[in-house]
Amino acid sequence: MESLGRRKFLTSAVLGSATAVVGATALGSLAPETAFAQEDNWMLEPDAIDPDFAEGRITGIKGTMLMVTGSDRTFHRILLTSGTSVWKLRNTTFDEAEVGDGLYARGARMPDGVLAADAVWLNIVNLQTHIVAINRDVLHLDHHGHRIVGHVVTGTTAAVYNGTPAISDLSLLQVGKHAQVIGAWRPDTNEVDIATVYAAAA
Amino acid sequence: MASPPAEVMAPATSEASWFCCGPAFGPCSSAGGGACGTCKSASLHCAWPNTSDACYDITRPDKCGDDLLRRTCGHQFFVKHLCGTTEIAVTVRDCGPQTDLWCGEKRCCSGKCATNRLIDFTPAAFTRLGSLSAGIIPVTIRS
Repeated sequence: MESLGRRKFLTSAVLGSATAVVGATALGSLAPETAFAQEDNWMLEPDAIDPDFAEGRITGIKGTMLMVTGSDRTFHRILLTSGTSVWKLRNTTFDEAEVGDGLYARGARMPDGVLAADAVWLNIVNLQTHIVAINRDVLHLDHHGHRIVGHVVTGTTAAVYNGTPAISDLSLLQVGKHAQVIGAWRPDTNEVDIATVYAAAA
Repeated sequence: MASPPAEVMAPATSEASWFCCGPAFGPCSSAGGGACGTCKSASLHCAWPNTSDACYDITRPDKCGDDLLRRTCGHQFFVKHLCGTTEIAVTVRDCGPQTDLWCGEKRCCSGKCATNRLIDFTPAAFTRLGSLSAGIIPVTIRS
């Protein structure tokens, strides 16, 4: 679906047509990997803020509307529908969102300024690190000179070695080696829960 | 100091990850504006491994066998997911990724693959192509 058509659809859904608000589900699969498959071309002014994107921390939740204050102090209202894909360490549901969570959101900006979200990632971080120490269920990481505590979450944390398929075995991780960590930040701490750790196996 | 090649074509495919810059929450809050000073997570920006001699000395794509053009702050690339149809324009606003740490790494989709990390995107740019939770995606790049 082209961008304009998608925007019109979401507008009609969000602005209260009698039909159920189905959001992005009507546009196809909502698996994160496939929720972005619409044919589209985008070019903005080099330093323009993407109007269909938001970053910040949740300052309030009213029903399915997230009130978010951007790190640049921009205020966003982000509407989640039954079709919004939500990630918080793993694919999850809207009720996992909490005041204080950081987020990135991608969707379509409505005429009233609301961002109708296709996808929301709560507390997600992508850290380029070095492994300082490995303890039981914890990786101690150096991230540009800052210490990060990475928690291994049983049943969720996976490792990808040299681009091979993800596995739960973390035994090939080595102290002193670099590692990229996709995880969920624990707000206002230096701790993250690890979703995926990318490493080069020895 | 490594000497980047003078004039060779940029590769057609690459792995790509994402990075935060400018105002940001959590561990990203100290990221700053990147090598160009004006990088923002909410803009369609990218990092390129050969923005300057100093940048190239860190990223060293040549160690992975990739000869990359010098592309400085403000250059625009057109990129899309290797298995996608959405093409976006991204502007170079930082130095990166550190290609030599990941030589030979490969990411595939639908039987097509891209090798080595030659470009990174801001969250705004990355989410126009794929999901942040994927971490790494294969892309095509053209100038």
